[in-house]
Amino acid sequence: MAADENAFSELIQDYIVECLPLAEQVGDAFVELERRWQEGDPGDNTLAALAGPLHTVKGNSAMMGIAPAQTVAHALEDICALLTAEPRLRGDEGAALLVSGSGMLIDLVRRAAGGAQPEAAAEFAEQARAFITSAQTGAAASESAGESTERRAGDRRITSRREEAASGPGSVVRVDFRRLDALLEVLGEGMIEQSAVIELYRRLARKVGPSDEVADLDRALLALQKTIKRMEGILMETRLLPASSVFNRFPRLVRELAHAAKKPVRLVTSGGATPLDKAILDRLGEPLIHLLTNAVVHGIESPEERARAGKPAEATLDLRATSESGRVVIRLSDDGRGLDDASILAKAEALGLEVRASDPEQLRALIFLPGFSTVKEVSSLAGRGVGLDVVATSIRELGGTIEVSSRPGQGVSFTLSLPLTLAILRSLIVEVDRERYAVPLSHVTATVRTEPDTMHQINQKGVALWRGDLIHVADAGELLGTGAPPNGSRRFYVVIGTGARRRGILVDRLIGHQDIVVKSLDTTVGRPDVVSGTTILGDGRVACILDVVRILDQRVPA
Amino acid sequence: MSAAPGKPRTGSVLHFADELDRQSPATEAPTPGAELHLVTFALDREEFGLPIGQVREVIRVGEITRVPQARPHVRGVTNLRGRVLAVVEIRTRLGLTVATTTPRSRIIVVGVHDRTLGILVDAVSQVVKVPAATVVPPPEEVLSPGTDYISGVARWNSRLIVLLDLEKVLSLQD
Amino acid sequence: MPNAFLVVDDSKLHHQMYNLAFARGTLAGSTVYHATNGREGYTLLAAHPELALVLLDLNMPEMNGLELLARRRSENLHPHIPIVLVTTEGTPEDEARGRAAGAWDYLRKPFQPADIERVVARALERAAPGPT
Repeated sequence: MAADENAFSELIQDYIVECLPLAEQVGDAFVELERRWQEGDPGDNTLAALAGPLHTVKGNSAMMGIAPAQTVAHALEDICALLTAEPRLRGDEGAALLVSGSGMLIDLVRRAAGGAQPEAAAEFAEQARAFITSAQTGAAASESAGESTERRAGDRRITSRREEAASGPGSVVRVDFRRLDALLEVLGEGMIEQSAVIELYRRLARKVGPSDEVADLDRALLALQKTIKRMEGILMETRLLPASSVFNRFPRLVRELAHAAKKPVRLVTSGGATPLDKAILDRLGEPLIHLLTNAVVHGIESPEERARAGKPAEATLDLRATSESGRVVIRLSDDGRGLDDASILAKAEALGLEVRASDPEQLRALIFLPGFSTVKEVSSLAGRGVGLDVVATSIRELGGTIEVSSRPGQGVSFTLSLPLTLAILRSLIVEVDRERYAVPLSHVTATVRTEPDTMHQINQKGVALWRGDLIHVADAGELLGTGAPPNGSRRFYVVIGTGARRRGILVDRLIGHQDIVVKSLDTTVGRPDVVSGTTILGDGRVACILDVVRILDQRVPA
Repeated sequence: MSAAPGKPRTGSVLHFADELDRQSPATEAPTPGAELHLVTFALDREEFGLPIGQVREVIRVGEITRVPQARPHVRGVTNLRGRVLAVVEIRTRLGLTVATTTPRSRIIVVGVHDRTLGILVDAVSQVVKVPAATVVPPPEEVLSPGTDYISGVARWNSRLIVLLDLEKVLSLQD
Repeated sequence: MPNAFLVVDDSKLHHQMYNLAFARGTLAGSTVYHATNGREGYTLLAAHPELALVLLDLNMPEMNGLELLARRRSENLHPHIPIVLVTTEGTPEDEARGRAAGAWDYLRKPFQPADIERVVARALERAAPGPT
């Protein structure tokens, strides 16, 4: 039976609360046993005591319809039973299986709310079966024949299985995440140093002219770049965790919020397996919790209102994560009352903001501004009234974007788009007034040489004809506060954004593409609108990274 | 003056350990409260002092990249061995005008709470040990609400060293 | 008068599941007593002669299911109350052992609320058989 048809599925958080500590206890014990067995200590009491927790996890997993966890727990139980009965089998191979299996079990339990892949569990069960069978037949063979050749054959089989087990998908190690952070930092420094070396090579090549040695050096540097890129890729992968690790706490939270608000609300999550960098994941929880709280407290109508509107009594919050071309998109929708455009308009006018009532998208985007709350009552649940501006800032600090869409009477949908990794960014380096800046490549649509016949002025605002569209063009110097230059120095413009929010930024030179290590801006410097971070270029100078999203958000100056 | 990329630190850092050894024997244990260990630096003709405990190192001035829309009193950021360090223009913070850097200018890298940043000064004088008894509260005429960052004045060896409370100096209110 | 039941299980999750099951369908309104090990279970069994059914987990610390059954038999405590052994395994030998110890029936995991309803219906039928 699938987990979602299970009558007990609403208890998934309770399942995790009960079984995760048990699984972890078992995992820790196996690691300890592995050590003991290596020292020749059979560790009798420990092994026997693990039967209970494994049995409980197995039974609970079965009850909840979580087959992979049940399979793995069962396999571990069987291995434990065998090793309890046959102390001579307590060695490296058995320990490796137990450690890898328990690691998998912990993962499966932890991710139970998000759905797990059954293949890995089935493979582990296979490995366990193979180990047990070979142990039993090996025992039978050595008992009956007592031949050294038989034993050697058995050993070889066991050794190759050990290799399989070691390289199998269930092999897991535990690493302190700080080590991964440190690794990333060191890799980042390596990349900076690599840029420095490349820069020096270029200067040298220019000075020395073409030669065999220069060509060799060029090839060697290219190879180095490729290797470092591969390292980056693998390191990034190790930092990935499934979205469910943050989604897991939400069903219970929503239940509590709904209970307190006296509205029936359920949370449906999907895409829990979508991977995200742990560093991003760690900081995603808070903004998502705010959005969920807002949805339950303000977005969802009271049961009476819903009945009048002909909606089902139980409201639904839908939270899903998907991977889309190098970014992770998280969507939170509700089937509540939707945004009240009239209130937003009124609030905007009260705040003295200029708005076009005819553009609902632009209007609704205002809710992310500080001080913008159209909520009439302050509820104790929503507490200190954390506004959507804080959510938007958190998402931006992660290098992400947040958008809202709404249908009056039908609900609100928030779309978060996050980069896969926080730390290394592909960017375009540009030069403006002798300073260099980095523009994240994911936001760059094109770079264009400025030609007099494509650049125009309409109402004294710069526009350009680009691929048949008229787009607004801003001067980078003006944006960055270095001022517009005398005519002619801006030889290129960079097209950023998509669709209606597309702009050109005039720059002096295009330096090139570079993978840069993002260093967040110290709060000492403040919170500039146009800069999202800094990086160190090949020549050792610090360059600011342009905050393209904020630049696009900026209103076209009147 | 630009710092070449990846230049090793030895040539560009004042070694405080050496200074300390030169000025006082290593066996002498400072009694808390009896003496203040200060790094002194000059702005115009005034001398200022910072507790040595807060000073991480002193570096020459390399390229300082301007950051658009930075807070007031922030000159920009600079590369400190692969780390991006914010550089504070302490002159303007203390009410002086900005000065061009000279070969004697330095950046004092300080640590306050868990933040590390740099302070751009005209020149770094010496590391001194000043008896606590020589420190007096700043004269009333000097004090004003905007100058609460002065924690005292040390009169020592016919010098007047203005002691700065770094936390107050760096609490940059916009 | 609503029926009373006793569930004996060392898993908190299972108690939550039982609560869910006993709150719906034909079982709604039932009284449920909870014990987390065999010893507690025996005490509660002794205290409630009105129980319609006992759901007893097999593997528990401090007196497992079989031990509870054995003690009940030796002390002849409330022999009229049917006790159902709840278990994941199910070799014929295990079942025989359980019945020999005094279990009235087996409930195999994983089960759904409907399975509990069925077992309860059978137990009630046995206690007060309907007209034939």
